[in-house]
Amino acid sequence: MSSRRSRISEEEINELISKLQSLVPESRRRGSNRASATKLLKETCNYIKSLQREVDDLSDRLSDLMAGMDNNSAQADIIRSLLSS
Amino acid sequence: MHVTKEFKKKTFLKQFLLGLHVSNSISNPISIQQRKNSIKLSADLAMAFARGRTHWTHALITKLGQKEENKSTLKGILGRRYEILMARYSCPLLYQKVQRRKKSVRSYRFSYNAQKRRSSALKGSCVRVSPSVVARNLENRRTKVLKRLVPGGELLNGSALLSEALDYVISLKAQVDMMKSLWRATQVSSSSNVELVPSAPLQKKDASCTIANSEE
Repeated sequence: MSSRRSRISEEEINELISKLQSLVPESRRRGSNRASATKLLKETCNYIKSLQREVDDLSDRLSDLMAGMDNNSAQADIIRSLLSS
Repeated sequence: MHVTKEFKKKTFLKQFLLGLHVSNSISNPISIQQRKNSIKLSADLAMAFARGRTHWTHALITKLGQKEENKSTLKGILGRRYEILMARYSCPLLYQKVQRRKKSVRSYRFSYNAQKRRSSALKGSCVRVSPSVVARNLENRRTKVLKRLVPGGELLNGSALLSEALDYVISLKAQVDMMKSLWRATQVSSSSNVELVPSAPLQKKDASCTIANSEE
């Protein structure tokens, strides 16, 4: 690995740490780069898994709610959600 | 990450609606499981289309397109682009390799712990494994897990994998938020269809009474 590439990956790691810190609660931050990278990897993996589970759960709930609807009401809901947010 | 949140919302919702429309027109009447699959598929596709051209979005669309039950919906949405996309990014050998690798990660973890136990039992005392070695092994293991989670992650390494993961996390979070607001909107509409508003005329009467009283 050239030194330039390792510098880029350190920048990216730092960027990832700061961005993930705003998204995911992370307890400790200090320590060697490797230790924080490991913890970061674990937090990222757990966060991705929980988000994917949430998508699955929301799909379930939406399919239950939409069961009684036709396409037009679904369209109205989507437009309403667009306007409200 | 130059895509603004507003732009992403509209694209997401448009694509989501399109996906639902296409899958509903294909299989009608539709079972609950089928509806759930079509919602999930439409949401994932909408997320990928809203994000644009990245490594993970192509990998995700390809992975979704390889499943038999999704093919007709994808063809309906993509049209001619379906053939081009599938040809460019599908790699069935890689997919098989991924399946095999899943098993090896599990067996690696098991054998690593077994090895430690064996060596400590033989030596009769606590074996000092250097902390940097442990940390490096942990990092390798977790990197493998991350590669599995991020679509297209198996092909990436190091900083590329991390930047893709970051992008994917942001898009996932946006997808979850969109689906939540959609769910809330659907709830509101389905409950308002049931509710009556009997109290409204009464309120008007009260208001007119108070006005009359205050005038006197």
